Amino acid sequence: MSQGRLHKPKNLLMIVMLSPYLLLLFLFGVLPLIMAVINVPSKSPANPNGGWHVFKVVLNDFRLVPAMWHVLGFMAIFVPLMIFFVVAMSLMLDANTAPWKKYVRLAYIVPACISGSVAVLLWYVLLEPTLSPFKGLMHWMGVTQAIQIWRTSNLTFILAFMAFFALAGQWILIQFGSLQSISTEVLEAARVDGCSQVQLALKIKLPLIRKYVIYMGVLVFAGGLQIFVEPQLLNSSVYHGIANQWSFDQLSYSLAFDNGNFGEASALSLMLLVPSLIGALIVIFKTDMFEDVTLKSGRKMKKEAQAREAAQA
Amino acid sequence: MSIDFKKKLPVSVAKPKRKKRKVSIGHYAVNVWLIFWAVLSVIPMLWLVLAPSKTDREVSYKNPLSFASFHGYVRAWKNLQDFNSGVLARWVFNSLTYTVAIVIIASVTASLAGFVISASKIRFKKGFLISTLIMMLVPPVALVIPLFIEMNKVNLIDNPFSVILISSLYPFGAFLSYIYYSNTIPPEIYESARLDGCSDFKLYTRIAFPLSYPLLALLAFFAFVGNWGNYFMPYIMLQSPTNYTLPVGLGALFFSTPAINPGNGATSVPILKPEIALAGILVAVPVMIVFLISQKRLIRGMLAGSIKE
Repeated sequence: MSQGRLHKPKNLLMIVMLSPYLLLLFLFGVLPLIMAVINVPSKSPANPNGGWHVFKVVLNDFRLVPAMWHVLGFMAIFVPLMIFFVVAMSLMLDANTAPWKKYVRLAYIVPACISGSVAVLLWYVLLEPTLSPFKGLMHWMGVTQAIQIWRTSNLTFILAFMAFFALAGQWILIQFGSLQSISTEVLEAARVDGCSQVQLALKIKLPLIRKYVIYMGVLVFAGGLQIFVEPQLLNSSVYHGIANQWSFDQLSYSLAFDNGNFGEASALSLMLLVPSLIGALIVIFKTDMFEDVTLKSGRKMKKEAQAREAAQA
Repeated sequence: MSIDFKKKLPVSVAKPKRKKRKVSIGHYAVNVWLIFWAVLSVIPMLWLVLAPSKTDREVSYKNPLSFASFHGYVRAWKNLQDFNSGVLARWVFNSLTYTVAIVIIASVTASLAGFVISASKIRFKKGFLISTLIMMLVPPVALVIPLFIEMNKVNLIDNPFSVILISSLYPFGAFLSYIYYSNTIPPEIYESARLDGCSDFKLYTRIAFPLSYPLLALLAFFAFVGNWGNYFMPYIMLQSPTNYTLPVGLGALFFSTPAINPGNGATSVPILKPEIALAGILVAVPVMIVFLISQKRLIRGMLAGSIKE
């Protein structure tokens, strides 16, 4: 009893220390979702009487299907390319014992600093036949005018490569880091058993870093689905109209800020949140990435301790 | 003896030599590919760093990876400073102040949260951790429109506090802190300190905090990298050019000057490709320096402590 009484004020102080983060989590993690749900049935020109059938209105919007095809095409290139390339590169880097490896790793991190508006600037230059550092190669391939490259039909590929180039390097290093966690005994045993480098990579290392690859896959998928900055900047600043409402987020932005239709924008945001949430739940509960959190709840730990005590007795 | 040894030596060396050659062909191809990708990774940044040394005409006609003169940087910097009554200095100041404020608030709140979750016996610990993980894995862009609606309701649109407060929610930092405190400070230390009469707040300030300098460096690193170049949130929340951050300002230079799109028409001060590249350097280079210095921290941190060393 006295212990319980003693614990109460202690926990109170702990809760006070936790409250700044908790407040931020509520205000900017939970409350926006509540506000979005409240906003969904609000009246708008497309939904003059208001109501929950705004989801249907969004699904029938003529701009949604093209945006869906654009984003699906982008994801179909970007996600597999990222996964295969990053895994292959990190395995190659791990198998390499050359002393210059550390400099190569430093170089891989450089594109990660180029994001958002700087990425748009650089890709404009890289793919502009008069400015590009690769203009010799482009001219040799018959590309001499910007119009040959900067077309809406090419945008899926351009944006997929932009995203791939920006993210691949840092993920190579992260997966390389995960490969360092494999015990040397396991690798030695495999080598003694006659494993070649390729067999070692595919049959030993790859299964051991599976959860990190899934983690990357989910983050890459969820991030890719929300592509906005690059097509928006290309459309508004570089080539007007090239990527008008090209992605889901651009459509959501346009609904909110061009049409003032926050009900539809909120509905679309909530619909887009679902795949990201599913991805997050898969990583949390269906992989052992965060098993310390998902398995070791207080009750389970207590049971484990009791079992240990019983065994000792 | 010595003759026998010498006779055997070439034989014993010859065998592995044959093997070595087999391996080296594969290694050679892998090495070439690894170096090729490294060169490819650096070329765009190299262009960005070298472009302001040239004039606008030289950017188009000179070798893209050539250096012209240091005077080019001075000229581009002066032009940028004169643009729109020196608004660039304001963008740099805004980026610095917003990022510093975010780094401080985010790191302190996340560190406290991680400590409380690892050291206390409060209820709903698992629920709290799972909600933090969900927030960590859902891309922040997904909540931008709902956040705009919320900020609009409390009249914080076009107010830097909207960006600072929203970006200070740092679920990744809270989770990283939880892992760090759980792995580095055994619960027995807290228990004995409690027996000695330490309050929970003193547990943090006298035990956990002095042991968490590496964690705080890691938290500050990720908060800085994630927010210095952030475009979307400030772009949505801030409307006056005087409130812009550097990345949003760079975007504004794209659509208000003829640097990239000649159709935009001339500006009173020449803002052309060298000037835009210099503004790009101001956004990209600080992140690059931090990245290069803290490469190992990035790897360890991104895997959220799930790798045991």
